[in-house]
Amino acid sequence: MDQEKVIEIKNLTKMYGNIVGVKDLNLTVYKGEIMGFLGPNGAGKTTTIRSCLALLAKTAGEITIFGLDSHRDAVAIRKRTGYLPGDFGLIPSVKVSSYLKYLLSLRECDSTKKMVSLAERLELDLDRKTHELSKGNKLKVGIIQALMADQDLIIMDEPSGLDPLVQQEFYRILREEKKQGKTIFMSSHNLAEVESVCERVAIIRKGQLVVVEDIQVLREKTGKVLEVEFSDPVTIDEFKLKGVSEIQQDNGRFILTIHENLDGVIGAVSNHRILNMSLKTYSLEQLFLKYYAEEEENERGNA
Amino acid sequence: MFGRMAYMELRAGWKGLLIFSILLFIVSAGMPLIFPTYRDSLTEELEGANKVNLELPNEQGGNITLSWEPLETATGYMVLEDNRSSMVTAKLKYIGNETSITFEKDFEEKRYYAVMAVVDETSDPVLIGIATTEKGEDPFQELMKNPAYAGFTGGRNISMLEVKGFITLEFFSWWWMLAGLFIAYLSVSVIASDFENKRMDVMLSTPISRRRYLLEKFSAMSIIALFTILVAIVGLAGGLANINALGEFPAEAVFLSLVGCLPFLMVIAAVGMLTAVLFQKVRVGMGITFAFVFAEFFLFTFGNFSKSLEWMKTISIFKYWDYSSVIIDDLFKTGDFILLAVLAIALIIIGIWVFEKKDIPT
Repeated sequence: MDQEKVIEIKNLTKMYGNIVGVKDLNLTVYKGEIMGFLGPNGAGKTTTIRSCLALLAKTAGEITIFGLDSHRDAVAIRKRTGYLPGDFGLIPSVKVSSYLKYLLSLRECDSTKKMVSLAERLELDLDRKTHELSKGNKLKVGIIQALMADQDLIIMDEPSGLDPLVQQEFYRILREEKKQGKTIFMSSHNLAEVESVCERVAIIRKGQLVVVEDIQVLREKTGKVLEVEFSDPVTIDEFKLKGVSEIQQDNGRFILTIHENLDGVIGAVSNHRILNMSLKTYSLEQLFLKYYAEEEENERGNA
Repeated sequence: MFGRMAYMELRAGWKGLLIFSILLFIVSAGMPLIFPTYRDSLTEELEGANKVNLELPNEQGGNITLSWEPLETATGYMVLEDNRSSMVTAKLKYIGNETSITFEKDFEEKRYYAVMAVVDETSDPVLIGIATTEKGEDPFQELMKNPAYAGFTGGRNISMLEVKGFITLEFFSWWWMLAGLFIAYLSVSVIASDFENKRMDVMLSTPISRRRYLLEKFSAMSIIALFTILVAIVGLAGGLANINALGEFPAEAVFLSLVGCLPFLMVIAAVGMLTAVLFQKVRVGMGITFAFVFAEFFLFTFGNFSKSLEWMKTISIFKYWDYSSVIIDDLFKTGDFILLAVLAIALIIIGIWVFEKKDIPT
């Protein structure tokens, strides 16, 4: 690939005493993409991110961002990087606008235009005092400060917990940023969240990278789960269609795992009276089970 | 631009600083105002001996003559002798009807004589007055024989009856504690609370290096230290002017004696910041920094006890802020001032070095 590399992590290892934070991790994020960083709590997402920002000292390995060394050139990197920490505090007893302007001044950025427009779109009142904010509003402040100075790279550690409508607006903002050529690297423990906005996903578990995959491939591999309940009698054979890998039946309730041909399946479902229906993304746990099953199979195959 | 963080620190903390400054002003302006009353109460006690006259021999081994005003109701008199003005270890020197006694001066040290009138046998004797063999010296001079007190003046002979002595002992002996502990508290908390309240991640994701972070906070602390010093200077000079004592204790001496404290406070701030980046906890940092300030103080006082302990003094920062030298000898020790400033800067450099090595906790 001749794409420009923005983040390049080579053999990163971070130990906390005897405890492994991240082990031998290799990962590349390219310019202009939204990359998801997926893993359960404690998998090493935050450790990786904070190593990139030189908040943690690496035990071993190398990280380059914009072609610069993450530790030696940390200040130069930070000039072009916005960061939302997974957990953070605000300076108490000041107006949100004062706090954000202060951070802007530390970034030597004079324009408050983007800050104001982001606050409007995310429905945050800038005149509130920082210590009065709810958890969701505090997260909005964090998101705004990461984006407001028009950084080339935006790193976000679990930007979830907004109201559904605001969350959608937030994803729209991220897509717009991407269109402007920004690179976004965001961690999450929620597959559905990553799926709705990211193009590529890196999956980490117990400090080690499991896989890096295009979201399209991941989708096909994992599929969707359709849960549907009918009021009239339906036979299981009606859903033995192309793209359906698994069918569970419980009287009038069916749970189908679908990889492709979603329209065909929905067509078959619509032949009957539907009481209730939901379409879900695979959960992260199910995804892991799937990848581990594959790994084990491969191992068996190799043996 | 350098200074933004320092400015924010001052802006966020101005209320606390204002309250502290008002307290500081009241105490520093009020202290000289107490002096006249204090002096009168002392001299009154001394002059309680204005009814007693003590004539000393010109040469060693001559005779002392002690005489006193008779009391009409007295049936007799008694004289007590002691080498302390408190008379707690007094011995009976004389008992009888005379109003004047003469005895040989067969001692070197200072002695006190309390003359009392016996009125009747059922009630206690009445004090007529106290006289001392070293006239013109206030009994509180004894305080200065205590090395712990003497240390404050560098062993200089000063009198509590003079405004210089009073201010040196009463004002400066607590000023270090008030200002020193205030700066210790602030310098630890401005950094450790950024750790504890998880503000460090956002702060250090901006193009602020850890070195600049620490230097800006240190600058803010130095400005606050200077500000508190200026408040104390204005307060103290104002108080002295109010009792017309600026002739005796010039404003210049007030200024130099207190400004000498600036690098002293900067060293405390640097220690506070070093412990804050090392332990990243407000309580731990505060405990260690307070302990440092008190340990330095005790090293200084112990160092005054004897020659063999003098080394303790040299490693105490209190030795290098010699306000008595300015107040009494009219000498500002520029070398000591620079020495403390260099020490503060060295400690901050160590702090930066430690900070750059450490992980930021989540």
